[in-house]
Amino acid sequence: MTDASWFEAVGDKLRDGVSLSESEIAVLSETRDLVRLGALADERRRRLRGDRATFVRVAEATTTDAVEVGVPRQAGELRLAGCPATDSLLLQSVREAARIAGDVPVSGFALDELVDLCRRDVARFDDLVAALRTEGLAYIAEARVERTEDPAWVARASAAGVPVARWTVCDQAADGNSALQRVARWGGDAAVPALAPLSRTLSEKPSTGYEDVRRVALARLLVDNIDSIQVDWRRYGPQLAQVALTFGADDIDGVSPGDSEEHGTRRSTLGEITRNIRAACLVPVERDGRFRTLRTHHQ
Amino acid sequence: MTSRRIDDAVRRVLDGGRLGPADALVLYTDLSTNELGQLADAVRAARHPDRIVTYIIDRNVNYTNVCVARCNFCAFYREVGATDGYVLGFDEIFAKIDETIAVGGMQLLLQGGHNPDLPLAWYEDLFRAVKTRHPDFKLHALSPPEVIHLSRLSQLPARTVIDRLVAAGLDSIPGGGAEILVDRVRKHLNCYGKATATEWIDVMRHAHEAGLRTTATMMYGTVERPDERIEHLLRLRELQDETGGFTAFITWSFQPSNTELGGVGATGVEYLRTLALARLVLDNFDNLQASWVTQGGKVGQLSLAYGANDMGSVMIEENVVRSAGAAYCMDEVEIVRNIEDAGFVPKRRDMQYKTLGDPVFRERQVPRMTALATARDAGDTSVPVELDRYPARSLAGKRRQSA
Repeated sequence: MTDASWFEAVGDKLRDGVSLSESEIAVLSETRDLVRLGALADERRRRLRGDRATFVRVAEATTTDAVEVGVPRQAGELRLAGCPATDSLLLQSVREAARIAGDVPVSGFALDELVDLCRRDVARFDDLVAALRTEGLAYIAEARVERTEDPAWVARASAAGVPVARWTVCDQAADGNSALQRVARWGGDAAVPALAPLSRTLSEKPSTGYEDVRRVALARLLVDNIDSIQVDWRRYGPQLAQVALTFGADDIDGVSPGDSEEHGTRRSTLGEITRNIRAACLVPVERDGRFRTLRTHHQ
Repeated sequence: MTSRRIDDAVRRVLDGGRLGPADALVLYTDLSTNELGQLADAVRAARHPDRIVTYIIDRNVNYTNVCVARCNFCAFYREVGATDGYVLGFDEIFAKIDETIAVGGMQLLLQGGHNPDLPLAWYEDLFRAVKTRHPDFKLHALSPPEVIHLSRLSQLPARTVIDRLVAAGLDSIPGGGAEILVDRVRKHLNCYGKATATEWIDVMRHAHEAGLRTTATMMYGTVERPDERIEHLLRLRELQDETGGFTAFITWSFQPSNTELGGVGATGVEYLRTLALARLVLDNFDNLQASWVTQGGKVGQLSLAYGANDMGSVMIEENVVRSAGAAYCMDEVEIVRNIEDAGFVPKRRDMQYKTLGDPVFRERQVPRMTALATARDAGDTSVPVELDRYPARSLAGKRRQSA
């Protein structure tokens, strides 16, 4: 039974800091009352994060073309995609990326890729992460929930000087709630600042709008030990990313750093992202790849 | 003070009362998006407790892009004599109808530019020819500004134009060209000349009095203020009280790319808020459509949580919104998947919103559609032979006919 009073009771529990039961989570996961679910998540988001919505402009490059591609001056992060096959190539790619990035934080790689590269050797992993830090890596870009067997690797990376930026759910077909609940269990120990609950991989059968915003709302409600619930601007588009802000998300990742004002400032990327955030009744705050505030974009 | 006004307006909705302009404005500007959505969803659920969400299989055909109206928000039109101006031939339209029937469709949504070289007789001949070939096929055609254009061209009253078109086979009239039914806005958009707000309403009144059912639309996000959007909705509600002739309301946001007006488009949240407001204000409209063609499939589906009970048309072909940069596509399989994923029951319908049955693709195999068709292939500049049967009014048309 999910009438208004049921949602109010769940809202009271969440406000009192009481964990939801398995049956309540199951009901929320299946509810057709999407907007009430969104309202619960939005209330929680506002209580935790106020009326700020952060975003980061990310320059993306592969480990081999970062120098060629360069870093636009508006970028708040340079993110490397892919993972070289050897330690030395990995370190070289970070060294070159950091050189062209200057003050812009460099992130890259998935945690499981680094663990595999080290053949699960703890000492080798620690040494590699420390070396990556020395070369200029600010964050490991993601820890993929489905490919993380032991969250201790997240803590090890952080202890070695390069924390993980976000948990990601990479498989759209996977049980999303299961992934969220794993993060909820792990989050307290691992200290990851963000969770991107929407799939990072394309599927033959694309997700629907209901599936996406439900997943975002559940992430906000089930995972209470991570600050930011992220939606990727490039992968999910301005429309869905903006609506997600009213369903519990508070951070827009992957905004393009290209900011041509050829068609006027209102049609620039910065104009579009700030307009979308304001239209969701939130205050746009630009951050960098280290989650440091760069600028509040007042009207 | 505002909080109390919001509470009063919310109470009025929940009690089944009617919103006035001040109530509507305070809800639109001050109620949170989630609360506005919850209210609209409650009203939708009360009106459609069976959880049925309908859609129609039809084809959106634009018979010409030549237009003298010159609305500054339009990316589709071409001036008279333009090299990329076109008029579809009857045979091209017949072929589109055959393709539509093949995928389970039973109607054309037929709209086009105000082309001075297409007289009333061209439309009458086309409609008769369609009905001769397919007597049961429906023609949902010619928005009010097109009727007014034909009225001026033929120097006949709009009511007579409608009567003649009905005699030739017109089944219903689409609500296009309404934009915002406030003349201040229409003057800014350079569409006051094609139809004033009152003229648009009057054509719809004539159509309803002639026994036709029509839809109503609103294009927002140009130069209008929130109170003018509400004034638009109230004018529609007033006519619906009078005639009951509107079957549905559809709203979409201005698509700015490639238009003279330019600027930026309204956001997804603004769309959902506007849709929800329409559900609250238009308390005498049964049906509200989701505009997935302008908002994309995801926000289109989310419309079902903000007051919409209809996913609109499979469409098959689209030219106008595409010209302004939006090119979304959903075939019947995808529309049904989105409806069911949202927890609703999909049903096919006709323009009168009469339920026709379950999805066609579950009854027989139909080809999947991954992109909407266009009026013509790029570079096709052919001129239909039958145009020579109708005296041209434009200089370019006269030159073509005398060549």
